[in-house]
Amino acid sequence: MTTGNKIVRCLLHSILLLGWFVPASYADDGSRVLLVLSDSNALYQTFANAYRQNLPAGIHLQQLQRAEDFDGQQADLVVTVGVKAAERVAMKTTQPMLAVMIPSYTYADLLAKRPGNKLTSAIFLDQPWHRQVDFLRAVLPERSRIGVLYSADTRLEITALRRELTDHGFTLTGSALGRDDDLHTRLEAVLAASEVLLAVPDSAIYSSNNIRNILLSSYRRGIPLVGFSQSYVRAGALCAIFSTPEQLAAQASRTTSSFLQTRKLPEAQYPARYEIAVNQEVARTLGLTIQPVELLRSQLEKSPGNPR
Amino acid sequence: MLSKKQITFSLLLLACRAVYAADSSSEMDYYQEFPVVLSASRLSQPLSEAPNAMTVIDRKMIVASGFRTIPDLFKLVPGMYVGYYKGSQPFVSYHGSPDQYARRMQVMIDGRSIYMPPASTVDWANLPITIEDIERIEVIRGPAAASHGANSTQGVISIATRDAGGAEGKQLSITRGSKGVNDVSARYGKRGDVFDYRMTLAYTADNGFDNLTTPPNNYPLTKFKATSLLNNSNDSNQARLLNYRADYHPNGIDRYDVQLGLNRDVQTVGWTDSVGNPVHDLLSNSTFLQLGWIRLLDDAAELSMHYYHMEQRQHEAFTVVTPAVQSSDMSRDEIELQHTLHLSDVNRLVYGAAWRNDRLAAQGYAQALFLIYGAAPSYSSSSNTHEYRLFAHDEWRITPQLLLNTGGMIEGDGMGHQDLSPRIALNYHLSPMQTVRMGMSVAYRTPASAESRFRVLQPGALFVPNATVNSPGLMPERMLSRELGYLGEFPDLSTSLDLRLFSDQLSNGIFYDKTFTGTFVNGMSVLYQGFEATLKHAFNENSDLSVNFAHELASSNGPAMLAAGYTGFISSAPWTNDSLSGNTPRNSASLLYALRLPHDYAFSTAFYYQDAMQPFDRGVIDFQPIQRRMDARIAKTFNQGGGVKGEVALVLQNLFDAKYTDYVANNAFNRRGYATLTLNW
Repeated sequence: MTTGNKIVRCLLHSILLLGWFVPASYADDGSRVLLVLSDSNALYQTFANAYRQNLPAGIHLQQLQRAEDFDGQQADLVVTVGVKAAERVAMKTTQPMLAVMIPSYTYADLLAKRPGNKLTSAIFLDQPWHRQVDFLRAVLPERSRIGVLYSADTRLEITALRRELTDHGFTLTGSALGRDDDLHTRLEAVLAASEVLLAVPDSAIYSSNNIRNILLSSYRRGIPLVGFSQSYVRAGALCAIFSTPEQLAAQASRTTSSFLQTRKLPEAQYPARYEIAVNQEVARTLGLTIQPVELLRSQLEKSPGNPR
Repeated sequence: MLSKKQITFSLLLLACRAVYAADSSSEMDYYQEFPVVLSASRLSQPLSEAPNAMTVIDRKMIVASGFRTIPDLFKLVPGMYVGYYKGSQPFVSYHGSPDQYARRMQVMIDGRSIYMPPASTVDWANLPITIEDIERIEVIRGPAAASHGANSTQGVISIATRDAGGAEGKQLSITRGSKGVNDVSARYGKRGDVFDYRMTLAYTADNGFDNLTTPPNNYPLTKFKATSLLNNSNDSNQARLLNYRADYHPNGIDRYDVQLGLNRDVQTVGWTDSVGNPVHDLLSNSTFLQLGWIRLLDDAAELSMHYYHMEQRQHEAFTVVTPAVQSSDMSRDEIELQHTLHLSDVNRLVYGAAWRNDRLAAQGYAQALFLIYGAAPSYSSSSNTHEYRLFAHDEWRITPQLLLNTGGMIEGDGMGHQDLSPRIALNYHLSPMQTVRMGMSVAYRTPASAESRFRVLQPGALFVPNATVNSPGLMPERMLSRELGYLGEFPDLSTSLDLRLFSDQLSNGIFYDKTFTGTFVNGMSVLYQGFEATLKHAFNENSDLSVNFAHELASSNGPAMLAAGYTGFISSAPWTNDSLSGNTPRNSASLLYALRLPHDYAFSTAFYYQDAMQPFDRGVIDFQPIQRRMDARIAKTFNQGGGVKGEVALVLQNLFDAKYTDYVANNAFNRRGYATLTLNW
């Protein structure tokens, strides 16, 4: 990178960081919404842009670029994006709050910070287990032994996942990884007993350092990995079901405008919309025939928990 | 290539992760960027999409077979012939037995072409890997010069060794058995965030075949050469080898592969009754270094480059009347550049170029040549050839059902020949589970330097080519191949079926003209036609069966050549006057059954069948009757606790002690067994 480029980049960054308060549309009803991002990087910017575009005109929107910038600023509704922003806001204020893009299993912690506060809700980032299970059934109907590797101190509700899988005729062949356990040994044991490896959001296991060995080990055994983001599919997972920042933003905008009309927040929700991605090259290599994405989606939509 | 923006984004996310190390649950678990792990070069082509008939031998099959040497594994490929000149000199070919050098196969280890001058053959005893280092073998049945270059007129064996990151920890394995079987190996593997490596240190030894104690095929002792076959199995072998493989992947874009290895092998060669080649030791040292680089580009495109250097030095000292010595030094350097890209969602193109330099320097001294023939007692030969290849293949999914594979290679062999080897194959998916394949290709084989510079007076076991080319007009052989294949998967029956009808026409074939010129000449033509089948079936989750069958007929211009006076085409096969037809086993089959039992026991058994045949270049005494052989393996794995795991295995070969011989009639393979103890920690 040339020095000139660097300077331009620095300037751009400074402008971005300085411009915390982004001018919003003209507020004719006086409703004020404060959007608090966890960080200023591209992920949150994508969310913020989509959120703003989906918001009806006439709402006064303020945006904070980083969680640390929130210090009790007043608004009719504070919408947080990401765990960091949610925690900061929950701690600092009792104003109505909608926490978006947080994993469902962190929500209890959030509520604990605002005991009894009815004006708290969330839009989760993760797909509900039943949707994940419906997805597995649609993609790989022939494979019933689902391997799940998770750390022993995970906050994921593995029992609920096991129940959901069992109810639908699957078996969970899981293994908890203790602090002193060797990841590879555990992984091989899970793979040996499984027909599919289902990735779960557990950063002690599914980190960018480990993903290579996880994918290579499962590929060596001809076992597909089912991930939960586009990035997994690009890296070599067979498929994934996930919600994009844009989809979460649209849902957040809808919840926001409904709140501004009713002054009531709904129960915490799972993502209403989701994407399905399939790595056809990996499918072909593993000798798997995966239905087209449209068919997978329509199969999922047959289940009441997966709205159109 | 990841764009700068994407990299910045990933770095930002990584930075966020660092901050969030304390709290393990955040949106970053969902939106983190990963490197592309299973890129095009990692993903193997499914059989139903390959432009050729292909047999895959994977780790499970390797273990179940019980074999301890690599060439034996090819008994599990339909139509493949595994022969032995001596216990430590196996050769692998297709379409029946050639001479002991099997010059018509391309054999590669991790993309490294391991057939070597002067005979264009593979020295299986001097490879720097053991059977345990192999992850998977793909065997292309039929010519594939369009993708694999010269020497692949019969087929291609492509061996993939275990990934650098494929093993973690230490392993020690000891094998002891009858016939001097004595193997020890130590392995170590370490996986890291950006650097993985594994290494093997091994010693393997055996005493080869059993001594033949009565003349073969119930011939009387007076039969020509019968007595010379008895008690003449001098073929023990000891190899010490080392290999190392490292994979450095500093980012999600580049991957560097470094491999090196060596094998120091001592084998007993020669015959008790031979004047020119008495029993003595042949010392072989082989080394290699291979460097690879793969870069991922935008849109799943990939750029790869590899370079390797390999060298084999051999030496022998023996006595022909007076002391004689021969030595040779062969080396190869190759560099290849390849670009894989998607022209569209349905069209993938691979093209590239390669350059290769083969050098040979060999010399010998045998006073007997002067004393007996009046020829010069010292002789030497050296050659230095530069070859190049340009290749391109296109894989076009015309419709989801129809896949068209086209490709070709232009080669300059450094000896004044330039050949174009094209290929076209059409795969039609009748259903997602059933595929029909039609293919046609042309392949050329460059003459080996042993052929173009054949030395008639050749003592010892090594081959020192003639100093000058004595077959100046020798042209590359040509193979025209046509095939029709069917692949069916029947998941409900846990069965898969691979069928193939083929017709391979060899023309301009090179043969040794012992009658007129005493050199190698063109002029042999053979038509090979046949049917091959592979059936795989799982009886349940714990048992697998794999059955291979091949039926093949050959017809050649041998009778016409014989009529024209070429005595090399005399047929010793009792049922035909076509020596090449007699040389091709009409039917052959193999069966491998593996069963996982309770209490960590595993059992497997294999059966091999090959019709009678008369090896083309051997006398009638070496007639090979029907081969039937059954092997069995039983193993138990154990977990010692404290991170120590292991396995004890017992292998019995030729369980029923069926009498059979391999290629040379004194190669008797009686029942034998060995036990292996493996510890992992």
